[in-house]
Amino acid sequence: MTAVSEAATSSAMRTREATVRRFAVTDMVFRAATRASAILVLVLLGGVAISLVAGSWQALSKFGFSFLTTESWNPVTENFGALAPIYGTIVTSAIAILIAVPIGIGIAVFLTELCPRPLRRPIGIAVELLAGIPSIIYGIWGLFVFAPFLQTTVQPFIIWLFKGVPGLSSLFAGPPYGIGLLTSSLILAIMVLPFITSITKDVFDTVPAVLKESAYGIGCTTWEVTRRVVIPYTRVGIMGGVMLGLGRALGETMAVTFVIGNAHRISASLFAPGTTISATIANEFTEADGDLYTSSLVSLGLILFIITFVILALARYMLLRIDSRTGA
Amino acid sequence: MKPMLSTDLNVAETTVEKAKIEVKNLNFYYGQSKALKDINLSLPERSVTAFIGPSGCGKSTLLRVLNRIYELYPKQSAEGQVLLDGKNILDRSQDLNLLRTKIGMVFQKPTPFPMSIYENIAFGVRLYEKISKAEMDSRVEQALKRAALWSEVKDKLNASGLSLSGGQQQRLCIARTVAVKPEVILLDEPASALDPLSTAKIEELIDELQADYTIVIVTHNMQQAARVSRQTAFMYLGELVEFDRTEKIFTSPREKRTQDYITGRFG
Amino acid sequence: MSTAQSLHQSRKRKNAVMMALCVIAAGIGLAWLALILGALLYKGLSGVNLAVFTEMTPPPGDAGGLLNAIYGSIVMTVIGIIVGTPIGVLAGTYMAEYGRFSRLTTVVRFINDILLSAPSIIIGLFVYELMVRPMGHFSAIAGAVALSILVIPVVVRTTEDMLNLVPNALREAGTAIGAPRWVVIRSVAYRAALSGIVTGILLAIARISGETAPLLFTALNNQFWSSNLNAPMASLPVTIFQFALSPYEEWQQLAWTGALIITLTVLGLSIFARSLTGRREDR
Repeated sequence: MTAVSEAATSSAMRTREATVRRFAVTDMVFRAATRASAILVLVLLGGVAISLVAGSWQALSKFGFSFLTTESWNPVTENFGALAPIYGTIVTSAIAILIAVPIGIGIAVFLTELCPRPLRRPIGIAVELLAGIPSIIYGIWGLFVFAPFLQTTVQPFIIWLFKGVPGLSSLFAGPPYGIGLLTSSLILAIMVLPFITSITKDVFDTVPAVLKESAYGIGCTTWEVTRRVVIPYTRVGIMGGVMLGLGRALGETMAVTFVIGNAHRISASLFAPGTTISATIANEFTEADGDLYTSSLVSLGLILFIITFVILALARYMLLRIDSRTGA
Repeated sequence: MKPMLSTDLNVAETTVEKAKIEVKNLNFYYGQSKALKDINLSLPERSVTAFIGPSGCGKSTLLRVLNRIYELYPKQSAEGQVLLDGKNILDRSQDLNLLRTKIGMVFQKPTPFPMSIYENIAFGVRLYEKISKAEMDSRVEQALKRAALWSEVKDKLNASGLSLSGGQQQRLCIARTVAVKPEVILLDEPASALDPLSTAKIEELIDELQADYTIVIVTHNMQQAARVSRQTAFMYLGELVEFDRTEKIFTSPREKRTQDYITGRFG
Repeated sequence: MSTAQSLHQSRKRKNAVMMALCVIAAGIGLAWLALILGALLYKGLSGVNLAVFTEMTPPPGDAGGLLNAIYGSIVMTVIGIIVGTPIGVLAGTYMAEYGRFSRLTTVVRFINDILLSAPSIIIGLFVYELMVRPMGHFSAIAGAVALSILVIPVVVRTTEDMLNLVPNALREAGTAIGAPRWVVIRSVAYRAALSGIVTGILLAIARISGETAPLLFTALNNQFWSSNLNAPMASLPVTIFQFALSPYEEWQQLAWTGALIITLTVLGLSIFARSLTGRREDR
């Protein structure tokens, strides 16, 4: 009896050992598959960088550094310079951020300090839904609804208002086209607003309640607590959110393509049509004939890639610092 | 040899059972810091051994060495020997999954898997055994009966394991462990998250299970150790201070530190 | 005393003004959403009829529908998801499970976050150089690959986050019963994180179904019905882009209708995805 049961046990042991060996193999395969996928993420970004460098080689070796400083963009004479799109990209993004940051922080303060609890989640979701709307929707809305509105009401008013004021009058010089740098900036501001809002709200939530309570305890008003405690405490995180928004604005393509006017020139007036890097690529890439033309467009892509990479890396670095502080 | 660590001799005097697990010169490291210092002890077969001591003394760490669960995390390492039936489980050639089928573990917080009550138990069995539905049904029933849970769940075996109360979840975890037919069961403060009634049930269960299994329980509750265990190890700052029959530890400990602890002077 | 009182008054006034501004800011945020949705419904609904879903995109100045564009969008989105999701889930699994403490994970997380916010037109250029140029022509499959590259970082991020939320005790319990790591991941960790991972996939679908820029020079466009993956294929966003910027009224109307369809799809997906995780948080 004992012998029988022992034999049964040892045969059970043997099947267990076989199973264990099979498990080890499957585990190794699965592990390798997950690791390869993780490495593929790195390969993708590396591939993007390499393909952009390769594609832009022809243009960059012909124009050299002057590619960055030349305003002219002439497919007929095959003379290309990136200054106008770079200018347009930076100006529209900068204005968009200037508009979106105070509004975004305002909404975040509203959501964390003022909003009645039951409304917090719905309003938070509504703001985040703005982030989910595809950029082409902002584009079509901007072109057919927003730009005409600006053209007929806001722009004439501003032109009238600043007439004769030195500086401002040339910054807001007519005629009011509707489309142009300022319109693009406003659309971009709407588009990055949800990013800035939700990150600011998230970092506001990391402020320890005790810190806020002790400030309220010595009689601070809500605004003073926000201004003196919450914002200083979360400064780095807010900067991260702003950078992330900036990264979005710099690379945003479709909405801008609709409303910027696609003019390769740098004008003093914000009402004038202009172009951005991404809008230029979107508009001209499929129509570009000639390798040099295509290569110049890819070069624009490379410049955009480098700018956004740096901005996004900074953003992530700043947000990581906030994370590690709350994690500790 | 430090004199206080030669206690395995004492245990050998008092117990005639053969040792199921022998720990020899065990050191354990979290990165650079040493968490267990030269531990020697032997756990007799089919009886309950308790590890007690203040938090951070290394009692849980020692338990986690016995099934090498610490291997899930980097920078944790053990050196020395842990013999299971005379075979060193710290050996590199030891298959970890196989080891864990022999040495089961129940955790501080109940950890039902996100699946039905039935599946919670069948899951572990199915890993190493190909058995029919009928056989599986009876295995599940046996395990649940063994864990004194059958009468409470027999009508809702398909309900989620998460729908049970805390005490029931912990008994489900014990049933799950028993179902894979281990030889040793490790219990890491199994009742610390439970109410007194559930705790009493778990203790009752431990008492019944020692007929078939070698049981090691970590507890911060000294009364619990006194109630359920045959021998007790008192640990302090990563050292094994004293290891002896439970009534000896609680009535006439040899070490002053043991006495201070069990009389509540620290920890 | 009176100066202290007036100081107090001015602080309170300042507070009231700033808080009012915050309320206005929130109002502005919500107003945009309402304005955009309102315009979409107003302009788009009038063009919704059966023809939109049954007829091909028309030549200039003619009536027609969006069938081939809708079909192309669905085909490329589905392929993009099928290709991108497994890679994303596996990579996220490595980061949260096997490689949780490894240096590789830190690097991948950083790079993935950058990929997540990288301009999608850059991805379009990449796929152009990678596939369109060597193949010599635009194709639906190139468009789908571009979309899958956008899917991957979204899925990686949510999968890693959701698996990290699974308590370690559950992994230890699975391991302690003798299950090998991959079984613990498959049967315990994935199961516990399921709704979160599905949310990530839904958000990825929402993201790519409205993407235009990466399709412009990969899948291009096609005025006719085409199910050939090796040929240019129409898509809703690219068709909207082309039609909206055209001078033809019929095309502009179809663009608005298409925009409404996309927006409702995307918003529906996002709300559904959020409701999945929302339930999770309440539990």
